[in-house]
Amino acid sequence: MARFTERDGDAADAPGALDALGRSAGRATLILSSLADGAKHGYALTKDIEAFAGVRLAPGTLYEALSRLEARGLIEALDSADRRRPYQLTAAGAAALRAQLQAQRTVAEVGLHRLAGNWGTA
Amino acid sequence: MTRPPVIPPDGIPPDGITAAPGGPEAIRPPGSRAARRLLRWYPRSWRARYGEEFAELLIAEFAEQPRSWRRGADVARGGLLARLASAGLISARLPGDPVDPAAGRRASLAALACAAAIFLTVGATMWAQLTVGWEWAPPATPGGSVAMVVMSAAMLLLAVLAFLAAAPVAIAAARAMARGEAPRLRRPALLLAGGALVLVLGGRHFGNAWPGTGGRWWPHQGLVPGGIAAFSWACTLSVTSYWAHPTVLASFPPAELAWMAVSPAAMLCVVTGTAQLVRRVELSPGVLRHEAWVGRAAIGGMAAFLGGALCWVTEGGPGPRGLVHAGAIDVAGVAVMVIVLAAGWQALQRAGRPEPFLAARSVARR
Repeated sequence: MARFTERDGDAADAPGALDALGRSAGRATLILSSLADGAKHGYALTKDIEAFAGVRLAPGTLYEALSRLEARGLIEALDSADRRRPYQLTAAGAAALRAQLQAQRTVAEVGLHRLAGNWGTA
Repeated sequence: MTRPPVIPPDGIPPDGITAAPGGPEAIRPPGSRAARRLLRWYPRSWRARYGEEFAELLIAEFAEQPRSWRRGADVARGGLLARLASAGLISARLPGDPVDPAAGRRASLAALACAAAIFLTVGATMWAQLTVGWEWAPPATPGGSVAMVVMSAAMLLLAVLAFLAAAPVAIAAARAMARGEAPRLRRPALLLAGGALVLVLGGRHFGNAWPGTGGRWWPHQGLVPGGIAAFSWACTLSVTSYWAHPTVLASFPPAELAWMAVSPAAMLCVVTGTAQLVRRVELSPGVLRHEAWVGRAAIGGMAAFLGGALCWVTEGGPGPRGLVHAGAIDVAGVAVMVIVLAAGWQALQRAGRPEPFLAARSVARR
């Protein structure tokens, strides 16, 4: 399993709303991406992110990021009879995630294109 | 019919009422006790908001992996950060806190003030030992003399900058109190004033008793008036390697030991009060620019002091080697100053830029 490092967070930084989160932007992108297909509570988020990104967010790290994202209005908590409160993406969160992922896609496309030009395709 | 569990005011769910993930309410699921213990790292306000759901996540994690020092360290780190944020010492907002761009800059300035305070505490500890040492004997090496001149000049600069930074905030706070905002500012103002009073009284008392300077206000020899050197020494008496030598510590006078316990608390009060005041007082854009300018100059002053300290540590220090020499605690002090200077620089960078997420929010709303 890949170990999530601060460098990964830096690499995820791109002009956009998530820049305000500084080194947490990488974690924020993972959480917002997980919530893009529906509301999830903390444990479900952890498992989903582990499944699609190979990254296990520790509880303190996860809730530090959730708290920041909620304070910035990028996600919101839903009412629940269960003690495990689910979170969902807001419109602002969706816009921020889209901007972030588009910036990452641009970087990825440029990198892959240059790799293909100079190193061939694998 | 089952009644929902009642969460106490401290936000920690009582033992035995936590439901197992995905199952019906159960009595004390595995990990609930450990989860409760870990929750105590977080402040009450955080627990009131996230306590229940965070405990559920921890219980699920415990079920999956009963033992993990990484998880414990991660929760401790998160809890300490939340406590620092709750005390107003670092920039962080909980949901429901008002969105205010100026508040973000004030929070960053408060973080810079905290970084400068830690730097000054560690730096003053080192500098006071050296200045007191010079009262007895001059530096043995040219490098030591240069280091002392640089560190003393940097301390003077930082003292002037502290005044320049504090004056506009004090004026703004006084005006805010006159406008009737006293209740919001009373607690930080009392913390600041109380802590400063204790430091001044205690520092003067224990400084006067120091035989090396006798509290003289003019230099016997060296650069710095003995009173200032002794005062700095007394205020930072608690930062010492004697804590690692309990038998030596036991021979200290009880009053001095008490002061070594009280003075850090007083310093903490000053720093917390200052940070909270900076975060709560409305500062005009002009004052914010002024504070950012002072912050940049302070970073320069701290870097200069650090250069002097490094010079001294590598040279071995002024005075007879047995009297004042660089030890492990001084090397550790230099490491702390480097870390704090980096943190202060980051805070300064944040203080100088608006919060971009606000722009994103307005775009999303359109």
